[in-house]
Amino acid sequence: MASDKSDLLQGTLDMLVLKILALAPAHGYGIAQRIQQISGEVLQVQQGSLYPALHRLEKRGWLKADWHESETGREAKFYSLTRLGRKQLDAETANWDRLAAAVELIMRTAE
Amino acid sequence: MKRRERQIQSEIAYHLDRVTQNYIAQGVDPAEARRRALLEFGGATQVTEDLRDVHRSRWLADLRQDLAYAARNLRRSPGFLASAVLTLALGIGANTAIFSLIDALMLRPLPVVHDPGALVQLVRVIPGHCADCRLSYPLYEYFRDRLTSVANVFAVLDIAHSITVDGVDEEVNGDEVSGAFYAAMGVAPAAGRLLGPQDDAVPTPVAVISYDFWRRRFGCDPSAIGKTFSYATTVLTIVGVEPEGFTGIEPWRTRQFTTPLSMSDQLGGGDGSWKKQWDMNNVESMARLKPGVSMTQAKAEMEAVFGAWRTDKVRLITEGPLYRARFLQERGAVLPGLSGLNGLRVEFLRPLTILMGIVGLVLLLACANLSGLLLARAAARQREISIRRALGAGSGRLTRQFLTESLLLAAGGAAVGFGAAQWFVRVLLTMMANGDALALQAAPDWRIFGFTAAVSVLVCVLAGLAPGLSAARVTINPALKRVRAAGGHPRMGRVLVVVQLAISMTLLVGASLFIRTLQKLYHVDTGIRTGDVFLFSVSSKHHFAGARTTEIELALVDRLHSLPGVVFATAANVVPLSGGLWSRQVQPEGYTFHAGEDDSAAFNAVAPEFFGVTGTPLLLGRDFNRHDNADSPPVAIVNQRFAREFFGGRPPLGRHIVSAKTTYEIVGVVKDAKYEGLRQGVPRTVYVPWTHQDDAAGKNRSQPMGFSYMARVAGGDPLRLAPLMARAVPEIEPAMRMYYAHTLEFSIDRTTLNERMMATLGGFFGLLALIVACLGIFGILAFQVSRRINEIGVRVALGATRGNIVTLVLREVVLLLLPGCAVGAVAAAWLARFAGSLLYGVTPTDPMAFALAIGALAMATLAAGFLPAMRAARVDPMTALRCD
Repeated sequence: MASDKSDLLQGTLDMLVLKILALAPAHGYGIAQRIQQISGEVLQVQQGSLYPALHRLEKRGWLKADWHESETGREAKFYSLTRLGRKQLDAETANWDRLAAAVELIMRTAE
Repeated sequence: MKRRERQIQSEIAYHLDRVTQNYIAQGVDPAEARRRALLEFGGATQVTEDLRDVHRSRWLADLRQDLAYAARNLRRSPGFLASAVLTLALGIGANTAIFSLIDALMLRPLPVVHDPGALVQLVRVIPGHCADCRLSYPLYEYFRDRLTSVANVFAVLDIAHSITVDGVDEEVNGDEVSGAFYAAMGVAPAAGRLLGPQDDAVPTPVAVISYDFWRRRFGCDPSAIGKTFSYATTVLTIVGVEPEGFTGIEPWRTRQFTTPLSMSDQLGGGDGSWKKQWDMNNVESMARLKPGVSMTQAKAEMEAVFGAWRTDKVRLITEGPLYRARFLQERGAVLPGLSGLNGLRVEFLRPLTILMGIVGLVLLLACANLSGLLLARAAARQREISIRRALGAGSGRLTRQFLTESLLLAAGGAAVGFGAAQWFVRVLLTMMANGDALALQAAPDWRIFGFTAAVSVLVCVLAGLAPGLSAARVTINPALKRVRAAGGHPRMGRVLVVVQLAISMTLLVGASLFIRTLQKLYHVDTGIRTGDVFLFSVSSKHHFAGARTTEIELALVDRLHSLPGVVFATAANVVPLSGGLWSRQVQPEGYTFHAGEDDSAAFNAVAPEFFGVTGTPLLLGRDFNRHDNADSPPVAIVNQRFAREFFGGRPPLGRHIVSAKTTYEIVGVVKDAKYEGLRQGVPRTVYVPWTHQDDAAGKNRSQPMGFSYMARVAGGDPLRLAPLMARAVPEIEPAMRMYYAHTLEFSIDRTTLNERMMATLGGFFGLLALIVACLGIFGILAFQVSRRINEIGVRVALGATRGNIVTLVLREVVLLLLPGCAVGAVAAAWLARFAGSLLYGVTPTDPMAFALAIGALAMATLAAGFLPAMRAARVDPMTALRCD
């Protein structure tokens, strides 16, 4: 794996998935692609942990899933955000902002 | 589940395909592209497994965690683990064992038989006497011809005899069956043919043998069909073999063959008259419900049909009004025949029901005990629990944790208890067999497994709930601070000890009632000296003519008399106190019966010296002697009660009694003695010389096989005579063998089976309850002493003596004992009513039994409390006060 790519911070995968799906419904492959693209190829999604995460979020009721035809013409499982999921995303975003600000502050001050 | 699995697979496949396509588009060759996709994905199997895990229920994962945690916890205290598993094994094992017997007797269907649920038994019911009386042959025919709700009505007579196969003698059991027997059973032969209606019509000397007998004696050889064996003077030809595993209608009895009921007289030497006597009740009868007919309908029809029979036959009664009244009380009944005949079921229903109640209490006791132990452990684990609570464990989760622990213990208890139950069942079956062979099938089946499982779950919930709930109430703060606080839930712990004491009290009252019953029964004055008496019977291959009969009988008594150590030797038609009774109507000279008065008396036909053997003093007149024979004028000896009731103060000697058309002159009077059994009173009794004895129909001279031969020995084991007589009997008559050689005491013991069983088992469980209750008391006191060590230290420092401290602790015992005994006594008084008919000489609220129980419980628990009390008394005030 190239050194300019970073693994996802523990616990952030869920948030990123929710964020991506807030834009548009997508299947697993699409979500992985989009995370990579949007992060400018910096974030590499561990594909092996993406799917369990999706299923976990679906089970919690934050995502719902439908099977329909994908861009290649094959049936794929598309995930989309539920209302509960949207609320969760808001909460996680706020949390993230606080955390990021705090980390930022420490990094700057401690210099 | 299937669908989800498919979806997981296709979701992963879609992903892999897309990644592969991507690489191909970049110019990678397809195989390499696939390889890279898989590599990047990180192992499709692992991911699939992870996905499955996501969907697995949370509680299952939790359960696995709880189980591991509980197992770790229990491993750390092996002492607790062992005592808890043993206590539970005791409770579960005892319940499984008793249930196994109930299952074997009442729930297990007859093996091999087609649709055993449709089988029914046809019986007579005489209120207060029997619930499954046999039928007379004419009554069986009456049912067979009139009942429309059942089909294949058949009659069975059980027989036991010695037979000769290929020159080898063997004692066997058999059934004489009417034609519909095998049709009703719905079984097919393993070889040859079974018996059918054609065998009813013409008596043919044929037999069907059991599969086991076929295997044992003929090695399953088909050529056994057509072979013969001799039974008495008849030669029977084997025509077929029953299917493997078929037990007939009495699964507890090992039987070797069946013959047609039409052969009965030829085999038994009868003249067929019994088949015409409407009140000679000797056959068992069963049938099969017709399809679509309910038990209720069959019962209703039975009521009506028996009603008609009663109306028809009551006219034929020549005996007195009492006999008529009793006959009018008779009813016909249909009993379930799923497990065959109801004889054993009727006999053991009450004791087994009571035992089930007793072991149920033992189980409750075990639960209360374990619950107390768990509670104490929970108290000791308060810090751990509060840490877990502080870390966010929900109270539901904590409760479940405790339930898991008790589930593990219950499972361990069930495993050990199940094994113990198998042993216990064998002990009980030996007890119930009462000296006979009892081939009752009690191997575990699914009902028993299910029962054990259900009991274990109950245990788990009952034992784990209290500590679990109390753990859920633990508050975080005080427990975290290292304070030796109020600790645990002493109130709940005390309640559990009171419950244990109450249950023990109940069981102890039961035990003392049953033990006192047995005691009273064996100390009742019977008028008979039961010790030092040897008795035996004889079997014979055939019957004897009149003169030879007398010759054999006299020779048997003479030989018995000549044996070393024999003081008196005699013979009797009925062995006293052994459950037999021969009763006839009498007309004493000069006595007028008033309407409704009982005009029957107990009869026994005895040889000279009978009263010497039984130790019953002759008060007036003379004993029988050799001159009282068939040709001399009939004489009789009566007991005091007979003389008093019929002759008042007038001298009885020389007076006459008429019975069965014979006039007897009274030549002697003996002291009152019991006859039928220990429980029954002294009847008016008439003894007649054995040489005058006729058979039931009053036609045939009775045979040597009809008597029991008895001897009083000077001392030592009476059974030492058995081998001597076994050799002597065939010397006297080659066709004869000795059988049933026992002591009179053994013969009496056989009639007190239920009482002995209840006393033994009641006593056993009572003792166990006492031990468990003591452990409970010990546990709670030891715990309390350790909790109050500071306080005790202060008291000692302030000048309390050791005596003061011991009293302080023992006062606790009394405070627990009082409510325990009170609750237990009330429960016992209520429950003991159900044991009513099993008791003798004591009332269910016998004050002595209650006093004994309270005494035993008080002494045992005070003793159990003494150890912690002594420990408290030895507390050194300095150490106690310094400790935290």
